[in-house]
Order: sequence, then C-alpha cells, then structure tokens
Amino acid sequence: MQRIVVDAMGGDHAPAAIVEGAAEASLAIPGAEIILVGDAVELGKLLPRVRHDGARVRVHHAPSLIEMDEKPAEALAAKPDASIAVAAELVAAGEGDALVSAGNTGAAVLAVARRWKLIPGVRRAALASVYPTELRRGDKDDPFSLLLDCGATLDATAEDLVTFAIMGSAYAKMISKNRRPRVALLSNGTEAGKGPAAVVRAHELLLEATELNFIGNVEGLDIPRGVADVVVCSGFVGNVVLKMLEGVSETILRLGRYAHKQNLTWRIGLAALKPALEQLKSVTDWEQYGGAPLLGLDHLFIKAHGRSSARAITNAVKVASKALSGDLCGTIATGMRDFADRAAKADIRAPGDPDGKVEAPT
Amino acid sequence: MTPGGRAPRHVFRWDLDKTYLRTEFDSLKDLVKSAFEDPADKQAYPGATAILRSLRAADGHRICIVSGSPTQMRSVLAAKLALDGVEYDEFVLKDNLKNILRGRFRALRSQVPYKLPALLASRLGTAPAPAETMFGDDAEADAIIYSLYADVLAGRVAFADLERVLAAARAYDDEALRTLDLARRAPKGDVVRRIIIHLDRRSATMPFRRLGRRVVPVFNYFQAALVLYADGVLTARQVVFVALEMLDSRQFELGTLATSMQDLVRRGRLERDIALRLADEAAEAAAAGALAGRDGLPPFHTISQQFRERLRQLGGSATGAWIGGVDEPLDYVRLVDEEHARRRERRRDGHR
Repeated sequence: MQRIVVDAMGGDHAPAAIVEGAAEASLAIPGAEIILVGDAVELGKLLPRVRHDGARVRVHHAPSLIEMDEKPAEALAAKPDASIAVAAELVAAGEGDALVSAGNTGAAVLAVARRWKLIPGVRRAALASVYPTELRRGDKDDPFSLLLDCGATLDATAEDLVTFAIMGSAYAKMISKNRRPRVALLSNGTEAGKGPAAVVRAHELLLEATELNFIGNVEGLDIPRGVADVVVCSGFVGNVVLKMLEGVSETILRLGRYAHKQNLTWRIGLAALKPALEQLKSVTDWEQYGGAPLLGLDHLFIKAHGRSSARAITNAVKVASKALSGDLCGTIATGMRDFADRAAKADIRAPGDPDGKVEAPT
Repeated sequence: MTPGGRAPRHVFRWDLDKTYLRTEFDSLKDLVKSAFEDPADKQAYPGATAILRSLRAADGHRICIVSGSPTQMRSVLAAKLALDGVEYDEFVLKDNLKNILRGRFRALRSQVPYKLPALLASRLGTAPAPAETMFGDDAEADAIIYSLYADVLAGRVAFADLERVLAAARAYDDEALRTLDLARRAPKGDVVRRIIIHLDRRSATMPFRRLGRRVVPVFNYFQAALVLYADGVLTARQVVFVALEMLDSRQFELGTLATSMQDLVRRGRLERDIALRLADEAAEAAAAGALAGRDGLPPFHTISQQFRERLRQLGGSATGAWIGGVDEPLDYVRLVDEEHARRRERRRDGHR
C-alpha cells in the first residue's frame, strides 16, 4: 500500500482545504493511505465533516507550523516540530513513500533536501513546473508542458542540465502518458552553438550520451507554443521564465477587467467571448495538475501551489500516487545509470558528485 | 427464546444489504442483478461474518435480521448466510409484492413505516431481552429508525410525537395505527445499548453526533469489533478473529486496521485506555494460540507495537473521550424530514 504524507498545515487555505482534499483522495485512490501531519486536535475537528475512509486517513501530530512568509532556514531551525519537518522526517524514516505540501516552498524544499538523499548520479534536485501551451501532447492530450528547474538551485552545469532532462522526460512519460516526450534546452537561439557554455555542452551531451527525444534548443517564445514537452534550464532562468509567464497571464486578466469597465462595446465583446474564455480556463486549469514535483531525491515530493484548493490537493495526491505506482524515482535512477554508462563508453564526464546539495529555492 | 430455550440476554438486530452484504441497488439494473445473483457470488463485508458468528456463539445471544430486501429473496439470502456459517433466530424481509398488488408504491421505498413496526413486532414476539445492539448502514435512514426504536422502548417518545413522525415518514394510515399499537404493547426499557452504523457510502461522521453517543458510525467491522469489545460484548480473542478475517480478505492490512483504531480513538468513540487494555489481552490471546497458523503475520509484539504507535502519533491530544456534548432529546420529525430531503437531493444529483 502506498503511504502518502500530506503536510496538513501548509498553504493559504490550510488546514481545511488540505484535509478536504486528502479526504477525497482517500476515496479516490483505493491503494493508498494518507498520513495527515499537523495539529491533531485541529485535524480531528475537520475530518468528521468530510467524506473519507477512516481506515486510510491517519493523523500524525505536529504541534507547530511554518507560515508562508517565514524565512525557510530560520523557521526550520526554530521549529523542528513543524508539520513540514515532521512530514519530511516520516518519509525519511520509511513511514511514508511520498510527500505533498502546499506550504512555504523554501521551507518544504529545505526540509526534504536535508533529510532525503539524492538519487545516485544526481548532483542537484530540480523543481519542475507545468504551464499551459498551445500544442497538446501524449495519450491524455495534455495541454501542459514541463519546465525545470524552476528554482531549486540557482546555477546548473552541463551535467546538471542533462540530469534535469532525464528526470523531466521520465516524469512526463509517467504523468502525461507521453511515450516519447520532446526534450529541449532553453537558450537564446535554436542553433546548437548558441547560449552559455553549459547549455552548449549540455546540447552535445544530450545528443551523444542519451536516448532522449532531444529536439535541440528552443527560445522563450517556443515555451507557450508547446514546441517541447520538457524544457530544461537552470534554476535561475527557470524561475525568471515562470514568473514572467505568470506576470503576463495576470496582466492579460487585468487588461480584460479594464476593458470590461471601459466601454459598453468592449463589455459586449468580452461577454460574447465568455464561453470561449471559460473553456480556455478549464483547459489550462493548473489545479488539475495539483503541484510541481521536486525531482532527483530518493523520495517523491509534490509541491502544491500555496493557493491550492481541496481539488488541487486531491490531484496532487493523485499525481504522487501515479508517480509511486510507476516507480518514478527508480526510473530516474535507471536513466542516470544509463547516462553514466553511455558517457563512460563515449569517454565523457558524467555527473555524480556524491556531495551534491540542494540549495534553498530562489 | 434462544436456542437453549432460555430468555435472551442480548438481542443483536442486523440489517443485511450494505450492512452485512456488499449490495448495489442504486439503479434498476443493480436491483435486477442482485435479485438473480447466485448466493455464492454475494459478498459479505470483511469481518462481518466473524462478528456475527462470535455474537451467536455466546450463551443468551439472539440474532434477528430485519432487511428491506423483498421476501422473494429469502431463499437466496438464507443460502448465502448458510454458506457463511451464520446462524440466526429471526429473519424478516419486506413484502413488496403485497405492496405492489395493493397499489402502495410509496411503501416500496419507505423506511420508517416498514422497519419500525418490524422491530417492535420482533421485540413483542419473544421474551424481552435486557440489552439490544443494532447494526445498520448509512445508505438509508437506519441510524434514525434505530434511535427512534430505542427511544420508543425507553419511553422517551410520546405517542402523539410518534404519530407526527409517522406522518412525516409518509406512512399509510393503517401502517401508522399498527405501529402505534405495537409501540404501546412492546415491552419497555432503556435496552438499546449501541447502534452501529456501517459507513458504506463513507458519509461524514459529524452528522451522526447529533444522535448521541449511542450511535457509532464505523468505516469497517474492525471498528465495530473494537466498539463491541469496549461494550463488553466481544472478547479480545474474538476481536483478533475479526481482524484475521479482514486480513484474509486482502482488503485490509495491519496498517489499515491500526489506522482504523486510531480513527475511532480520535473521534472519541474508543477510550485510549480500553484500546491499550485490548492490546494486552490480545497479546495473551495470541500467546494462547489465537494466531496459530498465520505465517504471514509478524510476531504479535510487533503488531501490538504498531497499534500503540498509532495512538502515540495522535500526541497527547486525543483521549478517546466522547466529544459530542450532552445527549439531547431528538426531534424525530425534523430528522425524518431532513432525511427525505437528502434522499431527494441524492436522486436529483444521481448520487448513491
């Protein structure tokens, strides 16, 4: 039976939305036990209000929590019994198989990075995020592409970028049911020689030492088009790109509201477009994905959005369950071994610094 | 009378569908399938058979089954119970054919006007027992009907109020008159010790709190066994047998049983000390051979440790004390009205 640990106290709508989402997951995923970590008294008040399976929702008491705006390292040091710390520890101790949290991203990533191990061959873990694109992919006709790293680390070597490509491809195969995901490096030009040295070298390595469906470099404008299913970049670049995409989306919404207020003709026009906009909204609804995985560690961590509703949490748990069923961490480990073997045969230096660390996210 | 001819000490009243048997009858197709299903194909919920057998084994215990299934199903259901080795003293089914022939279509779905008189008639038909425990489910209004039955026997429901409840439940006039007559004649006493509601629909447990501490919603029969142990009805050894039947079903693991116990303690339905006492007594039962031949299981001290660990995980917060407040007199007219509204809503939404 899968044991999925859920940080019940993390998130803007915690603990009510988290408990509701986890409760629904206990009914939707027959082969999983949900371990809710948080204030047992508080959770004990919430659980009886929602439908769930009492044999498969366990409560593990954690007396404190880390607020969304607290500084990660300081908060973790001051509150070793915070829900996210206890949750990460449970997984490290073998009491759970995966972790879902909608809480403070920095604290969550730091909590797992300090307690879990990197997969052999992986030097740095990567936070992957999905974003909606024009083109769809996979058996599920998935409208989302994967971008990694989005900020688990700042910089990345060529070997790190190859590692991210291997991890992202494995994840896309499993979650999007995309048999041969198109993998690309994000650069400032599609030519192989364009970009920083690490990107140029990673381009060579991906061609020479992997069997990924590597389609070369893509530029920023290719991201929303969906030219690639997995876009690989350093954490610094990924974080900037992600926030810019979010900013553009918010600006369009604001402009729409402005137009709605400005004059009657525009208002009528927007009203006529409403069904199409609603359809677009449902197609690109991030809540169906639930969260972003932190890839490269020996256990799975799904970071749900801080604003997650109950539905988003249910879906994050489902994604965790799917990744566990497909042995995502094992698949990544196999991918890394294959890469190391190929690199050795081709006399190329492969990644594998055993002292690799995950830094606090940007 | 019990098989030995003595007056019963304790009567256990069971519903069948969704309480003992995993039955789907939410659509016409389900109903037809259920009617023509072979007895061997019908599935009991894991642990339910072990509980029924354990209850029947004790001296002075009487098993009465009152089900809403049609009388035409008697032979199939009796065959299923026989296959499971479940013995019973009374088996009442609903005569729906008679209802159809008399044009009483409302009675086909009605719950209170059928079950309440059936329960009262059962109590009248034999020497009254000083204790009763009832088993139902959350698919219909079992928790309300059983509570009403208990309060009628305890003299907590005035006949005028009962009349109003029957009207709210849309009983036909003669049904209402018969029920009132049975309620007058039935031997009285505060005898219903426990009402166990199997959460087949996985309903939220909160709404059951208003029915008082007597009603305990359970997610599975391990939880039912724990409640019966706390009530002094089952022994630790019998609880172990229930657990083993559930493990054999492959639908439960030791971990899910331990979590089930934690859930009951967290909800204030099982005291922590009683859970710990059970662990000690179960260890003695295991040492005496209750787990003999169970190769797949870890040593009992490991199992016991796992269960204790589940309690520890709750921190110091959960004592297992009842948290539903003082039991208030119930407004059954309102409860029946709300139940009808819920059923209409479920039908409208196409839910179970």
